[in-house]
Amino acid sequence: MQFKDYYQTLGVGREATAEEIKKAFRKLARKYHPDVSKEADAELRMKEVNEAHAVLSDPEKRAAYDQLGAHYRPGQEFRPPPDWDAGFEFSGGGFRPGEAADYSDFFAELFGRMGARDAGFRAGGQGFRGAGEDHHAKVMLDIEDAFRGATRQISLRVPQVDAQGRVQLATRTLNVRIPKGVREGQVIRLAGQGAPGLGGGPAGDLLLEVRFRPHDRLRAEGRDLHLALPVAPWEAALGAVVAVELPDGAVKVRIPEGAQSGRQLRVRGKGLPGDPPGDLLLDLRVVLPPADTPRARELYETMARELAFDARRV
Amino acid sequence: MPEREDDILLGSLMEETWLTLEQVAAACPVEPAWLLAHIESGLFPHAESVAGVWRFSGAALQRARRMRQLEQDFEAVPELAALMADLLEEMDALRVRLRCAGLE
Repeated sequence: MQFKDYYQTLGVGREATAEEIKKAFRKLARKYHPDVSKEADAELRMKEVNEAHAVLSDPEKRAAYDQLGAHYRPGQEFRPPPDWDAGFEFSGGGFRPGEAADYSDFFAELFGRMGARDAGFRAGGQGFRGAGEDHHAKVMLDIEDAFRGATRQISLRVPQVDAQGRVQLATRTLNVRIPKGVREGQVIRLAGQGAPGLGGGPAGDLLLEVRFRPHDRLRAEGRDLHLALPVAPWEAALGAVVAVELPDGAVKVRIPEGAQSGRQLRVRGKGLPGDPPGDLLLDLRVVLPPADTPRARELYETMARELAFDARRV
Repeated sequence: MPEREDDILLGSLMEETWLTLEQVAAACPVEPAWLLAHIESGLFPHAESVAGVWRFSGAALQRARRMRQLEQDFEAVPELAALMADLLEEMDALRVRLRCAGLE
């Protein structure tokens, strides 16, 4: 494990005041905010910044870190001496189970024990019995998976207490079958796969929040499926039957005569599967053939000459 | 190595409205009291009350996380965090439309 220099992460000196640390953190939190940042590694950097702030903004953690880190350089191989934190009193917790994925092994090694003390106290309580916490994770699926169902391997980082009472982050891998008909934002419940119960209490559940990866052509809104459908000018003007490719096969759709770009067609029951299934919503987009051959130019010139049409006066 | 059929866990789909206040709070993670206070202040439109029990859509998870993060990182007042969350949700929807229109 490599030593992390939290001061370097926040871009402040070791003598920085609490106010300077807060200011530096806010500046970086804005820069790497995952919803707006254009940086490629924004999410990772934000986690590092959050972790550095969690330590340096807490006087107890900062004091312990300063003592331990005085002789280390960033990236140097690191192993904390036994009982390195003796003499420090930590009033807060290390991290909650749901937050484990947000912290590094380095953080877990240093501060994970704080959570273990708490867990040990609760587990040792006479006659205490309690249900385990529900855990939560995101699962990324393709829209196609909603049509067919899918099996996904999910890796979770969970805190585990070892024989010495120290908390380590362990990776737990689950194979999960996701049923057909799943929608974005829906939650899949895996009973008994959350945190273990205390004193023989039942384990919590694992809640998986479904997100769809961006798709080139399709967009799901609830059970409805949106698709931009390019059509030729003559298909839009004269009407036509066109084939539309969907994840579970092609459907034939009738384009009404006189259709225009921007018009939406609804095909009932051809959206995401379910009971009832969603609808397919086709956004028509008229695409012009290029006038890149003498024959094509001639056809456009004939239309220009013979059709009394002014696109600005429709 | 091929997966053995009995190693695969079968998930059950929860209706969007089946998340309880405690489940949303544990997943974000926030205190249930924090969530309740925001609902009562009208800052959490993804919650609905049925027979006196709060229930939540899946979108509530992301909103709660965003609002908590904004309040923690920038000491934003809850109303400002909610306004930011509204704007971010609108931005999400517009980005999806841009992508599907081939403009992003």
